[in-house]
Amino acid sequence: MPSTLRSSRDRPFLPKIKKSFTYHSTTNRGLTGMKSKGKMQGKALFYWSILLPALIVMLWLTLYPMITVFLTSFQNYNYISGRRSWIGLGNYKNILADQVFLTSFKNTIVYCFSTTFLEVLLGTVLALVFYGNFRGKSVFTILLILPMMLSTMVVSSVWKTLFHYDIGLLNTILSRIGLVRVGWLIDPHIALWSIVLVDVWQWTPFAFIVMQAGLLSIPQEVFEASVVDGASYQQRLLRITLPILKDQILLLCLLRTIDTFKVFAKVFALTGGGPGNATETTSLFVYREAFQYFNLGRSSAASMITLAAVVLMSIFYLRKMLNSKEA
Amino acid sequence: MASYVTTKHSPLFPIFMALILVITLFPIYWIVVTSLKTPVENILPVPTLYPHKPTLENYQKVLFGGSLRNLLNSVFVTTASTLFSLILGFLAAYALVRYRFPLKFNVVFLVWIIIVKMLPPVVLAVPLYEMFSKMKLINNLWGLVLIFQVYTLPYCIWMLYGFLKSLPLEFEKAAEIDGASRLQIVRLIVFPLVQTGIIATAIFSIIVAWDEFLFSMLFIRSPELQTLPLAIVSYIGEFETLWGQLMAISVLAIIPIIVFVRFVYREMTSAYSLGLK
Repeated sequence: MPSTLRSSRDRPFLPKIKKSFTYHSTTNRGLTGMKSKGKMQGKALFYWSILLPALIVMLWLTLYPMITVFLTSFQNYNYISGRRSWIGLGNYKNILADQVFLTSFKNTIVYCFSTTFLEVLLGTVLALVFYGNFRGKSVFTILLILPMMLSTMVVSSVWKTLFHYDIGLLNTILSRIGLVRVGWLIDPHIALWSIVLVDVWQWTPFAFIVMQAGLLSIPQEVFEASVVDGASYQQRLLRITLPILKDQILLLCLLRTIDTFKVFAKVFALTGGGPGNATETTSLFVYREAFQYFNLGRSSAASMITLAAVVLMSIFYLRKMLNSKEA
Repeated sequence: MASYVTTKHSPLFPIFMALILVITLFPIYWIVVTSLKTPVENILPVPTLYPHKPTLENYQKVLFGGSLRNLLNSVFVTTASTLFSLILGFLAAYALVRYRFPLKFNVVFLVWIIIVKMLPPVVLAVPLYEMFSKMKLINNLWGLVLIFQVYTLPYCIWMLYGFLKSLPLEFEKAAEIDGASRLQIVRLIVFPLVQTGIIATAIFSIIVAWDEFLFSMLFIRSPELQTLPLAIVSYIGEFETLWGQLMAISVLAIIPIIVFVRFVYREMTSAYSLGLK
């Protein structure tokens, strides 16, 4: 079904995103432009009432909890005893001096950026190599995107069997060809990278699809012109293709960073944060503090630090959106 | 199509392609193979590449051990939460596209949605848990449908916002001149026009809900209400992992997705090309 993929050319990728925050010119004037007062009020009422259900759910499920977390982060609150007392910045000082939290934060950053880097790199290379038509392309693409359709738990469990120290296939192969067995999930220096490997296996297909769509949205004429002008493949890649795809690559990086920063299920299933704290991530830390040690103050403070990191990361994204609104 | 990539004609191209396919598909093959092996064959010191004595024993155990229930739970929660999000998200997105709310509310709302999308869900877990236990929604599949809105609703609003934004205004104007009410316009004009967008959004929402683990783990207590990811983890968690049964459940979790991809592949690729994840 290569035609499906090519149809993305009709819907260029970036202009859509950039338009996100512009309004239709008529937005403020109503559909007909008639402005009787009763009609305006009826219109406001209509739009408020269709927005309201989603608004209530969002306020109730996200804003209210966020405020609670914010307030709790300044309290010493134990869920079991039910005692609460205000301790100001105590939790934050406590957390920021906690080696486990610092390790988990470092791990999350390392995991987040290395998976994103590898996935975007591999995805781009694959998209470049498999550009254009060849026999069996649509079947190939469907097979290639299977990993990202599987649920994380399925992916984690099969890799857990493959990674198994004694009976796993990877170690069997290694010892067969005369190398030493690797403690994929039990060696503190390697465990985090094993999880990175699993994520790269699962999500490179996503990067591949997005980059492929981006490549297909470049008009052929651009390449034809460069060929006529005698540009070599390398020149075309570095001077034309990649610069055109720059925004798309950035967006892809952003999507993957957001997603990998949240990592929980994969680590939970593969290593549970171990060995020691070698694969502890911030999500896991927050979870443990809250639901195993019932230290809600500390858990909330860790949550707020995570939120700050998320907002910091998203500033780039938000600024881009807000800029294009003014433009 | 003028080819500007020469690798296709090189003899390395098919080799590279085969390599990529093997890396991608081998773990999936391994899931199927492991699920067909006997328990003894699964813990041999040197794993066998194919089942020497293929058996359906694992599937039997898993299906009679309550996994069918888990599968149904997953299907129910995924469908219900997606439908709920789509309805709410569609209405909200339409309002945000077509009406400018006072105090820059549109921008504030969309920025909040992005922040929620980026936030690790575990951050919200504690207050939500307290809220839900007060409302007796813990250990309740409807409670799970509600809690999934934390993931699916921002997602649906954001994606549908993009699709509705690209819709030309003329159809709605014409309908209004013809005397259609606002509700009729939404139902009869806008809804059919963004159908593809709605399907694409539904696909993402389904994938997210099908995969959800954290809130399911925290909010579901009894085994008969567990969703598939929970059932899978409960097999990993045991002291001696039953690899065969674990993989049999995994196959159960894969089949609906494969069927699903088979039918929605077209919409999915066009949605991905919009990059509105």
